[in-house]
Amino acid sequence: MTLTAMGFDWVRQLVHRESAIVLQPGKEYLVEARLLPMAQQLGCAGVGELVDSVRLHPDPAKTRRIVEALTTNETSWFRDGDPFTALTGTVLPKLLAARGPSDRIKIWSAACSSGQEAYTIAMLLSDALPHAATRVQITATDISRQMVERTRAGRFSQLEVNRGLPAAMLVRHFTRNGNEWEIAPALRQMVTASECNLAAPLPPLGLFDVVYLRNVLIYFDLPTKQAILTRVRQLMRPDGWLFLGAAETTLGVDDNWERVVVGRGSAYRPRKGS
Amino acid sequence: MRALVIDDSRAMRRIVGTILTDFGYEVRQAGHGREALDVLESGSAEGWVPDLCCIDWNMPVMDGLQFVFAVRANPAYRQVTLMMVTTESETGQIVKALAAGAHEYLIKPFTPDALRDKLALLGLLPEGAPA
Amino acid sequence: MTTAESTQPITALLDAETVLGIADQVWPSLVGDGEVFVPVPAPPPAETVSAWVDITGPWTGSVVLTCAPATAEALTASVLMTRPPVVVDDEDVEDALGELANVLGGNIKSVLPGESRLGLPKIGSAPSQGRLDDVCRVAGQWRGQFLTITVQGAADAPHAERNEVPL
Repeated sequence: MTLTAMGFDWVRQLVHRESAIVLQPGKEYLVEARLLPMAQQLGCAGVGELVDSVRLHPDPAKTRRIVEALTTNETSWFRDGDPFTALTGTVLPKLLAARGPSDRIKIWSAACSSGQEAYTIAMLLSDALPHAATRVQITATDISRQMVERTRAGRFSQLEVNRGLPAAMLVRHFTRNGNEWEIAPALRQMVTASECNLAAPLPPLGLFDVVYLRNVLIYFDLPTKQAILTRVRQLMRPDGWLFLGAAETTLGVDDNWERVVVGRGSAYRPRKGS
Repeated sequence: MRALVIDDSRAMRRIVGTILTDFGYEVRQAGHGREALDVLESGSAEGWVPDLCCIDWNMPVMDGLQFVFAVRANPAYRQVTLMMVTTESETGQIVKALAAGAHEYLIKPFTPDALRDKLALLGLLPEGAPA
Repeated sequence: MTTAESTQPITALLDAETVLGIADQVWPSLVGDGEVFVPVPAPPPAETVSAWVDITGPWTGSVVLTCAPATAEALTASVLMTRPPVVVDDEDVEDALGELANVLGGNIKSVLPGESRLGLPKIGSAPSQGRLDDVCRVAGQWRGQFLTITVQGAADAPHAERNEVPL
């Protein structure tokens, strides 16, 4: 079944609400083309069935995939650069000073998509703090098995490496393989990828020093946001740092976090005694 | 902000020019490197120096790499940011362009979002550029 | 190590899947958001026009885009992001089709081994082919209209007898 007028309108409103992007009437074909792979993967007969099922049985994970399929083909590398400059400029130097020389520093890229965020962190570390890179372990998780496998592979299309990856970093850290670009093995080894549903009890991933949880909370209702933030806090060290998306905050959601200014952006730290 | 778009393809000049204009740039165009040097020279005379040059590689008369060398050799254009926008996409070509003095490198084909990301990296995305 | 004797035609260096992968990136970004090159052959039209770029290097040949004149006009209008009713002149078509061939050719060149140079785009009836087995052709359609992307060895390559790439 193709998309009904009601289905298209629902998608239009969803995308506008979550991303401020306006899908003009007449873009039905675009919605069809972009959502067809997801519909097939989920065993729906068509895009119409997919949209109807999510419309009638709300599911944040599927909603997020619909919005992502319609808003970006490719994830940017230095999407909102501030959380990355804060990492090498402030956060890691502080953590390295606070930890013992043999302590591991653990960073979590939650909802990692195809791995751009995790590898951005790995590249920055190996460029800015090469002596510390060996002490850092990056965990990348996503709800989608396909995304986890893509992250593990560390291979990106031409269009993907075009999205906000500085050319100097591209030539330094990637090699061409056919019409794809492959991340350097040393950087791939810094990243461990696994499946994880943030909206359910979390697997034992260890204790993290830094968590990137960006552009995920916007898809959930208030009680689920609170539950996710609580579970994430339980997996963080008391002096850890949490980075959210530019349009996200813990304020008014969960009082157990303290908002701190880092560089030109902000981060959240577990409130003492919480 | 001002941009000079250098490409022998009118279609490509129009595409890049339209995107930059939408972002709030004032755009001039040139069909090859030699013409672009002329635009820079006559522009300087009237106080028009671009913040950004988007430069194709393969062009008649003077190619993009020669243009980058020529601009980098002229201290009057020290403030101009140079970005290659080309279908040349081997690692060796990118290294060559960066070594010659190009600041960034966008591979064709690209989406408007990719151009926007590069401008953001370079600090050249005008404030209030539409999403 | 093998000697220069062990050489290969383009089909051994480049498969249809790689060409398609490149077309899959070129169409949505250059032809337009949501546009796709569909790899299902369509019946060839009576009249065709081609745009191509030459690749010179260890392997010498061309990357050729061929379609009906009406398709070339529609592609041009789409590339130029014009809204209907569309008026595109011959120069526009030459330019836009040439740029499509240029972007396809540049990306195909970067997949080939060794250092190669890319020529400026040309338009007309397709250049004559070299050896018959030195051709990789992807037939498909866009908005239901016939299109082919051909990577073909040059008839007048410096080593025309065996225009092959040393491994």
